[in-house]
Amino acid sequence: MDNMTNKLLKVENLSIAFGGLKAVDNLSFDINDGEIFGLIGPNGAGKTTVFNCITQFYKPDEGNIFFKTNTGEVENLVGKKTHELIGKGLVRTFQNIELIRELTVVENVMVGAHIEFKASLFNQFFRLKKTREEENRIRKRAEEILDHFGLSSIKDMLVAGQPYGVLKKIELARALMLDPKLIILDEPAAGLNDSETMSLVNIIKEIKNERNCSILLIEHDMKFVNGLCDRICAINFGKLLAIGTPKEIQENEQVQIAYLGKEDD
Amino acid sequence: MNNKLTDLYKTHKPYSQYALFGIILSLLPLLVSLGLVKYSLLTTVASILIYSIVALGLNLLLGYSGLISLGTAGFMGMGTYLTAFITADLGLPFELALIISVAVPMLIGVLTGLVSLRIEGYYLAIATLAISEILRKVFVEFDFVTNGFSGKQAQYPKLLGFLQLDRNGTYILIVFFLVLVMVMMHNLVNSHTGRALSTMRGSEAAASAMGINIYRHRLLSFAIAVAFSALGGVLYMHFVKYTYPNAWILMLSLNILAVIVIGGVRSISGTILGAFIVFGVPDLILKRLPIIGSIDGAAYIFNGLLIILVILFYPNGLINMRYDIQRNFNKQFKRGENING
Ligand SMILES: Nc1ncnc2c1ncn2[C@@H]1O[C@H](COP(=O)(O)OP(=O)(O)O)[C@@H](O)[C@H]1O
Ligand SMILES: [Mg+2]
Repeated sequence: MDNMTNKLLKVENLSIAFGGLKAVDNLSFDINDGEIFGLIGPNGAGKTTVFNCITQFYKPDEGNIFFKTNTGEVENLVGKKTHELIGKGLVRTFQNIELIRELTVVENVMVGAHIEFKASLFNQFFRLKKTREEENRIRKRAEEILDHFGLSSIKDMLVAGQPYGVLKKIELARALMLDPKLIILDEPAAGLNDSETMSLVNIIKEIKNERNCSILLIEHDMKFVNGLCDRICAINFGKLLAIGTPKEIQENEQVQIAYLGKEDD
Repeated sequence: MNNKLTDLYKTHKPYSQYALFGIILSLLPLLVSLGLVKYSLLTTVASILIYSIVALGLNLLLGYSGLISLGTAGFMGMGTYLTAFITADLGLPFELALIISVAVPMLIGVLTGLVSLRIEGYYLAIATLAISEILRKVFVEFDFVTNGFSGKQAQYPKLLGFLQLDRNGTYILIVFFLVLVMVMMHNLVNSHTGRALSTMRGSEAAASAMGINIYRHRLLSFAIAVAFSALGGVLYMHFVKYTYPNAWILMLSLNILAVIVIGGVRSISGTILGAFIVFGVPDLILKRLPIIGSIDGAAYIFNGLLIILVILFYPNGLINMRYDIQRNFNKQFKRGENING
């Protein structure tokens, strides 16, 4: 295994095909500790597929995904179960918000700490001490995060019917419950207006600084990525175009042709 | 508005309401002995309460985990035969019979789940249908213990080896178990396992990403549903004192599904309401009406029509009528005072 001293995630020769279509083609990149890393590319470039391979929703055809877990060990995530990953310090949000309509806002956030609950079924049936203690402790943590995001006033309302920008924040809050090492955000700014986007940029910067974690985000909107990311990886048709600082990426000719060229249609 | 009402309902601790409900139900034998209501009413209500227990288990499976079982009647029947065999044939204590008669169906349920739940949730419906039919065949064919078509008998329970219950005592025991199951359900759905089940039903992707083992939680909720079916069977056996194979057919499983659809998915009080409608109305009202009372299968027609109406107007069950009633009430009330938003 490679030397991962300052690295958190290392994607190595990742490939996956659907039928004849190579959605991701021999892609490699790595993310440093404490870095905000952007993955960009036009629609259908394979960004979400890369995320799904990292989080083991899809099993890659080839390649390795090395991750430095929260115990400091380096593990290859390929072949792991999706539900095992959050316990290693890797958590994600979804492009099409995946929250539970029937649960309240704070309950949705509490689900983010599911694996921390240890009370037995019997203990839950009779709401014994351990259940009450865990419920209180984790509800309090969820409320603190919601408070931080300015969502205290809606914490006990159902998620169904909340505005889009709020839903995005709730999903982010859920992802923070276990102090992850790496947060993966799939198009966090999609569908947000300018002021909501600004507030999201601040939130993401804050999360990185306060929680000492790395963030991998997919984005469409170049402006958003440029202001936020330390480094960017641009892909097209599942293949790597360039990796570098926002400035380097903006100046890269291939990126301009593949990506920026399409922007102004 | 709707949001607010729902939250109040969710965060509120309803133990005292459940206890009150139990106390009111416990008064029924008294009314019977005073001659205020008919003797047979106790039998009808007892069976409604037993089916409520069974339906609460199924509501966890359907409403929270999004899975369907068609084997409810089979597991309930298995509970009846097991407890009859253990108490009447083996002469063992009621408490031991209760534990074994719940544990064994649960084990078979888990085995069924292990095979069918791995791939897709809906295989469970098919697998449970098959198991239920196999069980019914067993009830018929293994006549050296089940007495085949002639059925099997048991007695009212004797608690702790000396407290012999009569009909009224057994009825009170059923009320006790119903209130206990209501409390347990309320606690479970409001703790992390309940939220995990809801998450799994709402979004499998979110569930896996949050560390919820979907296979395990499906199995768990099915095992709980089976356990409550079997518990219902045990109580049935010691109240009705008689079981026979044709009591445990698919129609009963479907009726218990109807309880949930009509009463209220994901609602404890809705389940009870549904049980009173599905198992009470035909017995208590339809049979007494002129003409309709003499139609064979009037109950099926009634339940069928009701399901259609409920799906059209109250897709989450009749229990949600209370929000409409409350809203109308508020409207009427506020109009009299002043209008403030
Ligand atoms: N589960 C799947 N089955 C078949 N094709 C898929 C699947 N997931 C993604 N694809 C295809 O892979 C390509 C990349 O998709 P995606 O990763 O969603 O793109 P992006 O997120 O960059 O817009 C698309 O052509 C898409 O149709
Ligand atoms: Mg995408």
